[in-house]
Amino acid sequence: MTPRFAPGTHVRVAEGEPSGHVRTPYYIRGRHGIVERVCGAFRNPEELAYGRRDGPPVPLYRVRFVQSDVWPDYGGRPGDTLDVELYEHWLEEVTP
Amino acid sequence: MRNHDVGGTHQDEAIPREQHAFMPWELRTDALLWILSDGSRAGGPQMTVDELRRGIEDMPAEDYRNLGYFSKWLRSMIAITTERGLISSSELERRAAAIAEEEAREHAREHHSE
Amino acid sequence: MSATAHGHVDRSDEFLERAFRELLIERGVLTQAEVDARVELMYAREGAAFGQRVVARAWIDDAFRTRLLGDASSAVRELGIEIGALKLVVVENTPQIHNLIVCTLCSCYPRMLLGMAPDWYKSVGYRSRAVREPRALLAEFGLVLDPKRTLRVHDSTADMRYLVLPLRPAGTDGWAEAALALLVTRDSMIGVAEVVAPA
Repeated sequence: MTPRFAPGTHVRVAEGEPSGHVRTPYYIRGRHGIVERVCGAFRNPEELAYGRRDGPPVPLYRVRFVQSDVWPDYGGRPGDTLDVELYEHWLEEVTP
Repeated sequence: MRNHDVGGTHQDEAIPREQHAFMPWELRTDALLWILSDGSRAGGPQMTVDELRRGIEDMPAEDYRNLGYFSKWLRSMIAITTERGLISSSELERRAAAIAEEEAREHAREHHSE
Repeated sequence: MSATAHGHVDRSDEFLERAFRELLIERGVLTQAEVDARVELMYAREGAAFGQRVVARAWIDDAFRTRLLGDASSAVRELGIEIGALKLVVVENTPQIHNLIVCTLCSCYPRMLLGMAPDWYKSVGYRSRAVREPRALLAEFGLVLDPKRTLRVHDSTADMRYLVLPLRPAGTDGWAEAALALLVTRDSMIGVAEVVAPA
């Protein structure tokens, strides 16, 4: 499966609160970051968690967020960042 | 469902610094986890780490907070194995009770011989 | 196991594990020998020795360091370290950047290189605070970061596992690789400490 996003792409994490097993932390949903690297393609944990092992691999990205964009009360330095691994179906490209 | 999703949500929680010594049953629990989710076994893994994580995430909030790390993994393995029909919860209960009884008798015997 | 008010130890987890294991063995799902072998292996590999070797090699061999930062799993295998299916990412501390690793959703950890994860790493407190107030957390661990340095936190939410390549301490020029390896601490490879040379 060809990854949709190249490193450097600006992306936004989907909102949404699915009730099952997901590996997208609540704190990062709706946030805007930049793809730091393409990690490869892996079977979707949201499917694997329910015994469904036949699905296609999904591209996984490491996305870098500026901490002060994630937490309104972030008390560190302006350049501090937070990297999170996110599956492609949670991301959409946005204009910088 | 969000018991486990704790990034940024428990800022007042202290970080305990004491390290407990790993009990043999904990190491055996870890070994069982490894073996059951080992993808290199003939026929594939019995279960995936994703199912086991889901098993932990589905626990009542109180259990998630109060049970130890290995206790949670053990209970999740049991839940997934039971879900699969590999064992039944009633036979597990009976077996655990029998073991507890056997240990109690051993303990009483040791005390009597002192 | 836990001690109750009367000093009796609660062994219910121990009994549950044994009952579960016995039933699995009786069903032919696994054998006692497999369990014993795995526990033996865990004892034998316990500790951060493999991580220490990776860091020490990266400190003295710049080409290795470059390969490590590009494809960490392959680079680690070059050293003969068996990591199985581990997908490793090594992040490098520099004078400008400090890295910190956490798994907020559970407690993912590069066990093959660092041994069993410490209790504090698995705690809700660490998992919650490492992403949101990492500088305060580091200060609690005794590491006060220079405000001019950038702090990068890595939440290992999926298949990758992370290892920090700490800064080589001053005063270690000409040291043998084995001696350097012994300086490297587990905590420095998670990012809550830096490596120091003895005074």
